[in-house]
Amino acid sequence: MAAPFAFEKRDKPLRGGQIRAFVVGVVVALLLGSILLLIAGHDPITIYTKMFDSAFGSRRGISTTLTRAVPLGLAGLAVAVAGSMGLWNIGAEGQIIAGAIAGAWVARLGGDLPGPALITLMLLGAVVGGGLLALGPAIARASLGVNEIITTLMLNEVAIRVVRYLVNGPWKDPDGNNFPIAPELPDQSALPALFERSNIGLLIAAAVLLGFGVYTARSAWGYELRIAGSSEKAATYAGISLKAKVFTVLVLSGAIAGLAGGIELTGSSDRLVEGVANGWGYAGIIVAALALMRPSGVAAVAVAFGAVQVGGLSIQTLGVPAAIASILQALILFGALSAAVFTNYRLVRRSSGVTTATVATS
Amino acid sequence: MNETTLIGLFIAVLEFGTLLYLAALGETIAEKSGVLNLGVEGMMAVGGVTAFWAGVETGNPWVALLVGVIAGAVFSALHGIVSVVLGADQVVSGLALTIGGLGLAAFIGQDLVVEPPGARFEATNLGPLSDIPWIGEIVFSQTAVAWIALLLGIITWLVLTRTRLGLILRAVGESASAADSSGTSVVKTRMIAVMIGGALAGMSGAYLTLALAPGWSEGTTAGRGWIAVALVIFGAWQPGRVGVGALLFGGLLALEPRLQTFGVEISPILLSMLPYLLTIAVLVLLSIRSRNRPSVAPAAIGSAYRREDR
Amino acid sequence: MSTTTTTTTQPAAVELTDIWKRFPGVIANAGANLVVRPGTVHAVLGENGAGKTTLMNVLAGVYRPEEGTVRLRGEVQNFANPAAAIGAGVVMVHQEFRLIPTFTVAENVALGESPRILARRSIEDAVGELAERFGLATEPSKEVWQLSMGERQRVEILKALWRDAKVLILDEPTAVLTPNEATELGRIVATMAADGRSIIFISHKLDEVTEFCDEATVLRGGETVAASLPVDALDAGRLAELMVGEATEVSIRRQRSTVVGDPVLDVRRLSVRDTHGVAVVNDVSLQVGAGEIVGIAGVAGNGQRPLSDAIAGLQAIEDGSVVLDGADITSEKPRARNAAGLAYVPEDRLGVGLAPKLNVVENSILRSYRSLTNGPFIDRGAARASCEALVETYSVKVGQLEAPMAGLSGGNLQRLLVGRELADNPTVVVAAQPTRGLDVQGVAAIQEILVEQSRSGVGILLISEDLDELLALSDRLLVMHEGSVVAEFDPDETSRTQVGAAMAGAVEDTH
Repeated sequence: MAAPFAFEKRDKPLRGGQIRAFVVGVVVALLLGSILLLIAGHDPITIYTKMFDSAFGSRRGISTTLTRAVPLGLAGLAVAVAGSMGLWNIGAEGQIIAGAIAGAWVARLGGDLPGPALITLMLLGAVVGGGLLALGPAIARASLGVNEIITTLMLNEVAIRVVRYLVNGPWKDPDGNNFPIAPELPDQSALPALFERSNIGLLIAAAVLLGFGVYTARSAWGYELRIAGSSEKAATYAGISLKAKVFTVLVLSGAIAGLAGGIELTGSSDRLVEGVANGWGYAGIIVAALALMRPSGVAAVAVAFGAVQVGGLSIQTLGVPAAIASILQALILFGALSAAVFTNYRLVRRSSGVTTATVATS
Repeated sequence: MNETTLIGLFIAVLEFGTLLYLAALGETIAEKSGVLNLGVEGMMAVGGVTAFWAGVETGNPWVALLVGVIAGAVFSALHGIVSVVLGADQVVSGLALTIGGLGLAAFIGQDLVVEPPGARFEATNLGPLSDIPWIGEIVFSQTAVAWIALLLGIITWLVLTRTRLGLILRAVGESASAADSSGTSVVKTRMIAVMIGGALAGMSGAYLTLALAPGWSEGTTAGRGWIAVALVIFGAWQPGRVGVGALLFGGLLALEPRLQTFGVEISPILLSMLPYLLTIAVLVLLSIRSRNRPSVAPAAIGSAYRREDR
Repeated sequence: MSTTTTTTTQPAAVELTDIWKRFPGVIANAGANLVVRPGTVHAVLGENGAGKTTLMNVLAGVYRPEEGTVRLRGEVQNFANPAAAIGAGVVMVHQEFRLIPTFTVAENVALGESPRILARRSIEDAVGELAERFGLATEPSKEVWQLSMGERQRVEILKALWRDAKVLILDEPTAVLTPNEATELGRIVATMAADGRSIIFISHKLDEVTEFCDEATVLRGGETVAASLPVDALDAGRLAELMVGEATEVSIRRQRSTVVGDPVLDVRRLSVRDTHGVAVVNDVSLQVGAGEIVGIAGVAGNGQRPLSDAIAGLQAIEDGSVVLDGADITSEKPRARNAAGLAYVPEDRLGVGLAPKLNVVENSILRSYRSLTNGPFIDRGAARASCEALVETYSVKVGQLEAPMAGLSGGNLQRLLVGRELADNPTVVVAAQPTRGLDVQGVAAIQEILVEQSRSGVGILLISEDLDELLALSDRLLVMHEGSVVAEFDPDETSRTQVGAAMAGAVEDTH
């Protein structure tokens, strides 16, 4: 079977191809999304306008979007840090939960502490909690070469059940009308508000993202990370200890995701609940992939995804399920992944004997 | 504990086993061809909701099952096109399939949540066989889909080990370049494997909404897709072992709500972690074992193939 | 069937006319031609980069040429893919075997062609029978990962015979074989030719060509420079000239170092085992003096790579020690060895010596980045400056310093790599295949740099498969065979034949 078209590697990668790919992804997603909406009997223009307005049209909207972008951005950063070394942390979802559990535990122990101290300790606890959940996969990968994709993925399901167990059992709120929720956190543990719905968590996340963006791009540590991500042998040649690097990077990745859980707990929630991670860990993987595993690109994509999610929730009043947000996120990724292929390849038509270059989506 | 509860447990073991086996068998076929598809949960949801819808519309469980199977296959083609034809990353593409699939299922199923099931698979009556004490009730009263799952498992095993088709499928998953130089179309083979995987995940979802727990609600797949992904590893990519694993993990799922009836004091939630922890343990053992010999995992898994790369 | 140009009445088994094939940045074939008669063994000769492998990939349907025609038995063919070529009876045995390690020999063979239903036993019997017919010793039920390289090659040939290949392309088949296995291969090839099949034998080793082949075609720079020369009438000197071109005796026949200083590199009784526990370096001892160039010759895969990797610290050793300038560095990590004055130009430039996805600046500071820091941060100004200096000094042609490394040509990659390794004024340079695959200018540039270094007192261990290079540059020449140093020669008082014999393991006592 002779395929009429074939991929041919470009002499040089297309410049700015990734941003183009992202735009293509968004356009494709909006187009396919409107087909779905039309089938379901909705007017896409109305829906999209409403989504955009609710995400960016007001101070309150922007604040909600940014608040959602916080866990997305931190989860995305967690994945991207591991990804710049060629490692996959699929476990951000579980690490967010682990961070929230650890934060809640600190609050149980130190409920009498003054606010700033308690919050700091809770966030630190969250960082440790997330890191701890990544510890097993990190050791297994560094010492035995066990595939971290599967181990981190499995631990997500374990973490979900741990939190379920806690809020249904030992940590169940006696005054919670038998709901599976933990008791309310002490009042002073809430992150101070910033504007509208946003709280200090936004600043913390921004600082962490910016810090890591700069640090991985400019530091010797980040340089070593990129060498290892490009070629393990070159890293050994340059005198970089791969095992140590794999270990620290995976644990660090877990810790960053854990921080997201801590901020969710102290910022957006008043108690530990089962759905604390809310799919942000998985969405974070898509965010990181769209940002090409570059910590510096994560923030922008996270805000875009935050907006899609806020928009998705807002159109429920029009009778459209919020699930449209998930569909759009997936479609953006599929569109962008497909378009990104053309950054490095172009499509050529095969005719008999002679191969002629034709126009690609460049 | 009386006889009825015990029989009820064993019936449930086979039911959950069927659910998990169908999805895991599909994933085994896809992974054997070298394509990791983390979209099982999404494909199950899409298969489940479309089958339920078709059941409501037609009232015929077989038509509904077929619709779920086709929907799963068509939906999985998205992963195939992006990761096999275009060569994008399999991990990300698969995850997007799960996220998008859960969203799509919720979208389609918005108005179906209140709907009573229009069709369901009933226990088959195999006459005298079904009258055998214990065995008759447990084994010979399962729905037809359970028998289909068993049959598909045997067929898959035979195809993989005894036929040219299976040889080609395994070759593509072990070394795309070797298969290619033998004149096999890597892209075509993988595409077919991915879509068979999608079809079986769709059937699993349909079994869920038409037989195991007739009805539709958002989140009804409840992470069973991830157990299926785990099962493939637990069963070391072999249809038979995956089947044994499906019974074991299915047993854990069946035991969960019954634990207290049996007077066991452990929280059922803790029990439900076992499949994942066992899978991690198996993965570690497999890694230790493959130090001095090739791994049992398909060697080409996770990597796209393009011939003119140079 | 109009313009076939064969000398026989029979149409040629293979006729390639005016084949062009380009890759990003390279023209691999620039109007190459090849005519192969049925029932003959035909050598295709050429240096690395002459376009042999590309031309064969065109014939085998792996690549589609931009221009040119492929004819089999006079009929024009347009292979869309390898399957089409195989269908027409052309099978290629690639240099890297395309075997599936976890499959049995029989399964690997049957992958090409088999009934829909596979009966394990009957396939194994059939494969065994075919192997016997052509005198190929194999065990059909064994899994391939357990086989030696020679056995694996026989499986590849079996695959071709199983599909009744009329034209068999063997791409540098002896590169991975022991001398005994190579002789065995010669016998197998002769049996196949006697059976009426045509065998295309790609090589750059002249002795094999005269021994195994009937005719030879020589490629240079993607073009055919000599077509279908009868091997009997061949003169090795003339062949070599055709392969490398007129201006090749450029290899600087250098002035030997008259005064060799104290040993700066002292390798004592070094032994290495690979991951499967096979001994790949056996009890090797060697010394390199200051200002001396010590060459290591050997057929690929005779322990050169693990030896150089072990000296550089990239490979765990089993026994022995490495002493650099009087200091024992056996237990040091690669970084410490480099800091102590050991420079290493590894065989795999891109992937070991250089990181493909990183840009030129980032690659140029691979050794020095720790000293270019400002707190935890890399001083980008200093990094760029040091990169610019390298690019300038070693005339590396780069478009942009921020472009990924993988986009550079082989010669420029190597200039940057060698330059970087020399930047810290090392005491010893271990250079593995430093000129492989480079164009003539590139080869000359790298050789010149090495010679210059030795003049300034640096000890150089030069590992190469290019015998002429070794004879021209080395003060002393060691030969490795099956992991051991089996002979030592004075380059001024030896011949290619003598060294070649030692490389093949036929050692006369040279002491």
